[in-house]
Amino acid sequence: MSETLYVQHLNEEARPLAYYLSKMDGYTALKKAFTMAPDDITAEVKKSNLRGRGGAGFPTGMKWGFIPKQSPKVKYLVCNADESEPGTFKDRDLMRYTPHLLIEGMVIGGFAIGSSIGYIYIRGEYTREAKLLQIAIDEAYEKGYLGKNILGSGFTFDLTVHRGAGAYICGEETGLLNSLEGKRGEPRVKPPFPAQSGAFGGPTIVNNVETLTNVPFIINKGGEWFAKLGKVEKSGGTRLISISGHVKKPGVYEIAAGAMTVRQLIYDVAGGILNDRKLKAVIPGGSSAPVLTADEIDVIYDIEPLAKVGTMMGSAALMVVSEDYCVVRLIERITKFYAHESCGQCTPCREGCKWMEDVLHRIEHGHGREEDLALLLDIADNINGKTLCALGDAAAGPVTSFVKKFKADFEAHIRGKRCPSA
Amino acid sequence: MAKILSPKFYDAMKKLEPRYPTKVALLLPALHQAQEETSWLPSEVLEEIGEYIGIHPAQVREVASFYTMYNLKPVGKYHLKICTNVACCLMGAEALVEHCEKKLDIKLGETTADKRFTLHEEECLGACGTAPAMMLNDDYHESLTPAGLDEIIRRLS
Amino acid sequence: MPKCMIDGREAEFKPGQNLIEVARSAGIEIPYFCYHPGLTVVAQCRMCTVEIDKMAKLQTACSTPATEGMVVKTQSERAKKNQASVMEFLLINHPLDCPICDKSGECDLQDNSYKFGDLYQRYTEERRTYVDLDMGPVIKKNMNRCIHCTRCIRFGDEIAGIHEMVAVQRGNDTEITTVDGRPLETDYAGNYSDVCPTGSLTLKDFRFKKRAWFLKKTATVCEGCAKGCNMEVQQDANVVYRCLPRENLEINKWWLCDEGRFNYHYVNDSRRINIPVHQSGGLAPTNWSAALSSARAAVKGKKVTVLIGSDLTQEEAQLAKSQVPTLFPGAEMFHYGTPGVISAADDAPADKILKRKSKTSNLHGLERLGFKGFTAMPAGTQAVVVLRGGRATVPDLKGVTAVGVGVFSKPQVESFAAVLPGLSFVEKDGTIVNFEGREQKLKKAISAPGQSKPLSDIFKLWASAEAAR
Repeated sequence: MSETLYVQHLNEEARPLAYYLSKMDGYTALKKAFTMAPDDITAEVKKSNLRGRGGAGFPTGMKWGFIPKQSPKVKYLVCNADESEPGTFKDRDLMRYTPHLLIEGMVIGGFAIGSSIGYIYIRGEYTREAKLLQIAIDEAYEKGYLGKNILGSGFTFDLTVHRGAGAYICGEETGLLNSLEGKRGEPRVKPPFPAQSGAFGGPTIVNNVETLTNVPFIINKGGEWFAKLGKVEKSGGTRLISISGHVKKPGVYEIAAGAMTVRQLIYDVAGGILNDRKLKAVIPGGSSAPVLTADEIDVIYDIEPLAKVGTMMGSAALMVVSEDYCVVRLIERITKFYAHESCGQCTPCREGCKWMEDVLHRIEHGHGREEDLALLLDIADNINGKTLCALGDAAAGPVTSFVKKFKADFEAHIRGKRCPSA
Repeated sequence: MAKILSPKFYDAMKKLEPRYPTKVALLLPALHQAQEETSWLPSEVLEEIGEYIGIHPAQVREVASFYTMYNLKPVGKYHLKICTNVACCLMGAEALVEHCEKKLDIKLGETTADKRFTLHEEECLGACGTAPAMMLNDDYHESLTPAGLDEIIRRLS
Repeated sequence: MPKCMIDGREAEFKPGQNLIEVARSAGIEIPYFCYHPGLTVVAQCRMCTVEIDKMAKLQTACSTPATEGMVVKTQSERAKKNQASVMEFLLINHPLDCPICDKSGECDLQDNSYKFGDLYQRYTEERRTYVDLDMGPVIKKNMNRCIHCTRCIRFGDEIAGIHEMVAVQRGNDTEITTVDGRPLETDYAGNYSDVCPTGSLTLKDFRFKKRAWFLKKTATVCEGCAKGCNMEVQQDANVVYRCLPRENLEINKWWLCDEGRFNYHYVNDSRRINIPVHQSGGLAPTNWSAALSSARAAVKGKKVTVLIGSDLTQEEAQLAKSQVPTLFPGAEMFHYGTPGVISAADDAPADKILKRKSKTSNLHGLERLGFKGFTAMPAGTQAVVVLRGGRATVPDLKGVTAVGVGVFSKPQVESFAAVLPGLSFVEKDGTIVNFEGREQKLKKAISAPGQSKPLSDIFKLWASAEAAR
């Protein structure tokens, strides 16, 4: 297996500062960064082809470049640690096992964009992880890696952990910013984008946990090195992939970007299907990703290849479904999630997600009608691309894909007036 | 109005104040801090938080009611939140919920008569690799089985 | 001026103008619910989406500023399908209340459904319902009708300055309400009903009284204070049912305070004196001739002071200025209207929004005509003639014999020698001058009730009665 950056450190021993310093070149990247010009740091990150690891895959260096240099307003660096996309559990490991990677990444990021104030917005359910992060932050303050005049550089960076309180929509960057400001976590109209007006009206960069933890590696070993780690042209570095569901070895795995197909991930990395059952469906990028059938898994697992076949890599959360679970029941549960998490601002999502949930519920419980499938596709089409934020798309895409690709399962429910596996 | 929240609450808030440019940004931390003391958030507590921050009580309510972790109704001493999202469903969460409902003799959303246990289903907790998972108050319990659940309930009864 | 293309038509725009406004000035209607020119843009209802060349997704017109050369299609197939689908989404939980809903006939949901929605409904699931708590004396809440446009929330927060109307819960369960059954606190609560595009927030004052399509509308000005907010009086069969704000970007924008909005009640109130009365075992109705007789007898041979309400028009005040020296030789004239506000210099803003301290509309006009404010009854006054438009607060007359000319309510004038009924602000044309010195026009909306007469007629009758002696 090619070089891995993290996964060998994802255990309890790695957490203390002492381990980070001795076994992970801790804070050497920060020292190096202070010898560079902030713009050169951003240039290095651009070179690395590091792309956002939260789900959108936006090139990180380009994002950092959007901060207006001349703005007199206070700038903010916010870490999106809201990790709520179903199937995703990699940021949790990073925060509880290698918190200093995140801290160092944030100080370097703050230095690059000209921000002295950082927040880690962590989902409320990660109570233990928030405490562990705070312990690491306290260690960093004590040893001078956070606070005023870090390592004699003259640069100040303050870091605060801010807990969410149970809302998937706060993973959307502008919903997150509203939540940080003490409001309902409702996404904002864009433009303006956060780089222009984000937290508290100031230019803001929001980055995922994993994205920021890559920054120390990039600074230490160079953007070119990082880019070359990736096996596809557009994506650099390695990816942490959360694999779960009906596999023998669920867990977090680190793979060079684009190094494997979905099939290889399921059968070679995750040990194959649980109880050696038949594969039925694969949700490749968190529950927002349109589903793949067992015939569609020879696609390279990276952003562009997955987009080409009509799905997405998203948060790199692979969920594997064998014949042991009813796919109609599954998409009902997924749609219920989106209806539950919809913030309620815009009409298509607020009304449409609940409508789809109700129709799917009827079908699963034996009260489906012939016209329901066309109805579902039409509702989904009326939501897709028409909403204020991407949650609408995240609800519509899976419904469309399940209804189209598992039509026979739906028809069996409707004609048989029951769930065949109930 | 007499204060319900303790000096510990106000001390914790005071420590946080310099970390944010506005006082309203303290609202989510304040609601968490208050709930640690009072277990759920009645109107009087929301009003006191509103007074501390300097906002209308309606503004506190609009924020508190948006997030699922703030209990606006009383909950039992032990709040069980079993995840029934994708991976956990695939790994048997629904049977676990049914088992728990029978064991505690309540339905989802209800509290036992002795006010010890409240049962809810939960969305994805980020523990999919060790599904099925649940939260018991602040703690995660993963790779949960019916027997494991029975043991937890037994210990807490 | 820069130009863009909308539906094949060239449209000029000012930099920064959003496409809804640009289209409006080009005569093209883009439907919307959540947009309001006086409130922040939220782009939530998704009704105003249009197709724009070179942009893959439909864009909300409210949040998209026009740019030079932009090509916009408001009625392309995609735009039309989205309008129909938004209407469908909004109606799946909306109750079929039109037959009993006050908003019927002036409802954005009705109008847009008719113009842009489908003919049929295919929703067969259970509808969402809410339990309504009371919101106080001004607004009636019916949450089942709400389409979650959040205009009311934004009005409360941004204009009224009280964060009292909020959204609680989230997603499909979102409820918009005050909390814990609290009544609305703001003095501008009536505007909640104006901004609401459905019958979710309606005026209790207007509830079930009149169908909107029966109302005849007159553009006039509010007499509630010296601000001079523009207002529309709505009546049927000479009964005023409602007063709504009229847009005036320089004075009141789109808003009215509750005091001004509900001020009209006295006009049709049963206690208003609209038949001449005089003392005959208490204040009793009579005819004009007898009332004039009693009035003249009350002031004959006495030192008279004339009090002129600053709720009267410039024309009426001018008339008084020229007629009083003849009718009441030697009488001193003063204007009166608001306790504590003696002159125009005492008038000032009463809040941060619209209200002024002078509770009459023409204080500044009367001062312009040279009248002085009433402070104390001149020594030796034996009779006072009080002119009143209907709003001015009559000062304590300290038992001096009084004759009323104009609009009074029975309880106010029990001890008066006679009252000669006149016209209220909705029964006459006239000019009033607001706090900025701006001249505005009152317009007659209803006919004078009973035997009420214009001031000019009353003065003529008085003069001819004198002459006849």
